[in-house]
This record gives sequence, structure tokens and C-alpha cells, in this order.
Amino acid sequence: MKKALILLGCPESPAQTPMAVYAAYKLTDMGYDVTIASNPAAMRLLDVSDPEEQYVNNKIDLESCLENLNEGDYDLLLGFVHKDAAVAFFVTFYHVLNTKSIALIFEKDPSQLEDFEKQVSESTEAQIVSAKAYHNPTPIRVKFDRALEQLED
Amino acid sequence: MSFCLETYLQQSDDYEILLSRAGFKDCAKIIEEKSPEIVYVKAGEKILGVRLIGIPPIPIGVDEEKGTIILTYTKPCYGTAAIELPVDSEELDKIKSVAIEK
Repeated sequence: MKKALILLGCPESPAQTPMAVYAAYKLTDMGYDVTIASNPAAMRLLDVSDPEEQYVNNKIDLESCLENLNEGDYDLLLGFVHKDAAVAFFVTFYHVLNTKSIALIFEKDPSQLEDFEKQVSESTEAQIVSAKAYHNPTPIRVKFDRALEQLED
Repeated sequence: MSFCLETYLQQSDDYEILLSRAGFKDCAKIIEEKSPEIVYVKAGEKILGVRLIGIPPIPIGVDEEKGTIILTYTKPCYGTAAIELPVDSEELDKIKSVAIEK
């Protein structure tokens, strides 16, 4: 079974948790065994959002995941990038895993969005899915769905 | 027992935070400005027991005279900090052994 790692950032962005549950649902539907790596605060939001683990079965602490990560552990990396620190984490996971990767970049400030896109594109070959978004996850979801269609092709 | 940065920062007070809650690029810049010698490493390279997080090539500042290094330290909600801390020559040799070209 193919394995996907979803990498979450700081839970400050309201769109992150619903998009994480949605991405886990979509990737599971595509046949991936999905694991979500996050810090404890982001994980607590997931715990409450999906109490019976209908969508998110495997959750792992971000830092212990990184410490034990090796190339080849996952077939797909999906990183949520909406802060400078999230760029640094995504790029690091990308270089350790060296696998097919999608950066889901979302921010309400267009100049920051552009900066995050630039940093990711200059330091990885990941597919970039970006949208100006904060509370409303729809712009990200629509672009993410399109990226998944390309992934299946 | 090998050195662990995470434990060290919790239990020691002989380190200096040069910049905190900042962007990775700003911390990399301060390392390059303040250090007599720079060693660059890959993203995810294990340094002082933890994987270094950032945009490669990641700079580590080295001051052999003071016996210190400056490195970046990133947390998801708090951004990146540049931290100067003492290291022994054995750790310094390990860091230099994983250096890459910029």
C-alpha cells in the first residue's frame, strides 16, 4: 500500500484542520495509507474534529517523526505551508524523504504567499498548490482537488 | 552519551539567543554576519542530536576561539531562532565532517 505523510504547521490558520481532515479523506480514498505529523496543539484540533478517527487514523508527533524519518518511508509528502517555519519544515521533510511532494501554500497576505511560493520553488521540486485563503478553505480545496487529479494521471 | 540540543536548551543557561521568533532567512543572515567561520549543511542533517530544519544550504556559525557555534532552531508556532552555544572540539569535528559546499 502506498504511504502518504501529511505535514501540518502551526494550527493558527483556521483552514488547516478542516483541510487536513479533507486531505486525509481524499488520499485514503485514492488508496494511500495516510499519516499526519503535527505538533501537539494541531493534533488536539484533529482529535476533536475526528473523535472516532473516521478520517485520520495515524497521527504522529512532528518532531519525533522528523528525528526517525528516512528516505523511502513515504511515497507522497503533502505539506501545509502557511508560515515561515512551515516552509522550513516542509523543505526539510522534502530533502530527507526525497519523494513526490505537494506544498499546499495558503496565506491571507499576498506578499507573504508569494514569498512562501518562491522559497519552496527555489529549494524543492515539489508541486505547488497555492491560494489566498485564511478562514475559507474552499479556494485551497478546489486547487488541491485539481492537484490530486494530476497525481492520479 | 551523545549531546542532545533539545535537552541542553531546557537544562542549561550558557547559551545566547541572538534572534528569536524570526524567519529562517533572517536567522541565516545573522549567522553569516556574526560568525568568523561558516559551515553549511544539508536540510535535515543531524547536528547535536537533532535534525536541523531550514532551507539548504543551512549555515552553522563557528567560533573556534570562543568554542561556540551559532545555529538555527525552528518551532512551528514560534518561527526560527539563532542560538549561540558552547560545543566541545569533538562535536565541532562531527559538524565539519558533514559540511557541504554552499
